[in-house]
Amino acid sequence: MSTQAPLRSQLQRKSVGVLVPGLLLMTAAPALADRLEQHFKVEAHPVVTVHNPTGTVIVRAWTKSEVMVVAKRATDRVEVDTEQNGNRVEIMTRQIPDNASPNDLRADFEISVPEDTELQIHDDSGGVDVSNVLGDMNVETIAADVALEDAAGYLTVKTVDGAFKCLRCAGRIEASSISGNFQFIDLRSFHVRAQTSEGNILFKGEFLPNGIYQLKNYSGVIEVRFAPGDSFDLSATSLKGKVNNEAKLTPSSHRHFLPRFGNALFGTMNTGRAKVELSSFDGTINILKRD
Amino acid sequence: MARMNCNEFWNQLEQWMEGERPADAHAHLRGCSNCRELVEDLDSIREASRSAELADVDPPERVWLSLRSQLERENLIRSERSGWAATLSNWFGGVLSAVPRPTLAGAYLVALIAVSIALAGPGYRRFNGAEVPTQPLTAQLNAAEQSAVSAMMNADPAVTSSLQKNLAIVDNYIALCEKSVQEDPESEIARDYLYDAYQQKADLLAQITERGDSR
Repeated sequence: MSTQAPLRSQLQRKSVGVLVPGLLLMTAAPALADRLEQHFKVEAHPVVTVHNPTGTVIVRAWTKSEVMVVAKRATDRVEVDTEQNGNRVEIMTRQIPDNASPNDLRADFEISVPEDTELQIHDDSGGVDVSNVLGDMNVETIAADVALEDAAGYLTVKTVDGAFKCLRCAGRIEASSISGNFQFIDLRSFHVRAQTSEGNILFKGEFLPNGIYQLKNYSGVIEVRFAPGDSFDLSATSLKGKVNNEAKLTPSSHRHFLPRFGNALFGTMNTGRAKVELSSFDGTINILKRD
Repeated sequence: MARMNCNEFWNQLEQWMEGERPADAHAHLRGCSNCRELVEDLDSIREASRSAELADVDPPERVWLSLRSQLERENLIRSERSGWAATLSNWFGGVLSAVPRPTLAGAYLVALIAVSIALAGPGYRRFNGAEVPTQPLTAQLNAAEQSAVSAMMNADPAVTSSLQKNLAIVDNYIALCEKSVQEDPESEIARDYLYDAYQQKADLLAQITERGDSR
């Protein structure tokens, strides 16, 4: 349990010290540049939840058995609450006066956590950036982009039009969006399921043996970059768009449902150890060689 | 005693949710993560329906009153269902009658829409004939949309703009998918995309409503 004073009260106290001289210099916007830091001792597999409507959330793993929260508020109209309940740390921003402008609600966080931390992050706009965290992760945003690097565990990402980039991620990945673009680079995941309506999907990396990779969109481009040694069973279907293929496929031994119209491609690359399913409504599917 | 399988558990799901919980059902749940997650989801929805506040989002009464009959009339679901779909449908029917109507507002309404659409199951059960009269359901969803969007009046303009833009995108896909299904009613792929588009809209409305409620 934290022995420090609640972050909210610290923020309020510090804001007085910062805001008054600021007002003397600049009578316009209630700008604030306070930096608040708080530490929470945790045990193995802690859970950290962040609810931040506007602003960036940066999470980094470190070797200490504690969670460090550094918060920066845009104005004193937003309040940062933190609470520890056992091995769970909750961080939440909320407005102080009811009539605060949404632009005043911005708060940026830099959070350091043990690498086995489970993360639950809600961030409507701003951005989420997580590195080297190996626990399960659930990230939901509206317009905020999401970047995960060297993450593992069961990763679920849901955006409305925020982009999602996953670099060297492992574990199981499930991503959905309406107009966000997805990039999966150098993954070590055995299960990837991604669906975006209007966004593009890029998968550049190895299809692991026994892995399942399902990429789906309505429009936009699905691009898969494969290496000559990759081994996968491929199903690529675009109902109203094109399927472009550079892979040398042998006819699939599996039976497939053939669409009544549209473009479809089924086949096996090498021994077909992974399963790759690409589908689009009227987008283009590119299966291209990796450089 | 033979161990209960998933089908047998689903057949008893309604009784389970009403508190009748025999030992063999308990044993099945302990060993089956899928059924356990299903029960947890249903518990969550029930809790949400109990705790929902009255005033925040008050969707048009016709949306939830006529939803099931509308879906049946449009052949989006069958009136004769079996297995878990029937069980879930009955259970939701029980919830609908047991919970005061105003508490069905907000996220629960949208969850209900999503579940009702989900009850349609695979595409071949959703569209029996060549005619695809989906417009009335779209109108129902649009009414729910108006109610949900009004709850976002004070939200961050960037977020509101993003949500509205993406609602338009989803609506466009629904229209395109409907057209494709009308052109080829037997196309399972087109039906699946239409189904996904409806689910996306329900998900999006749920997100909007949640954010409206939390402000």
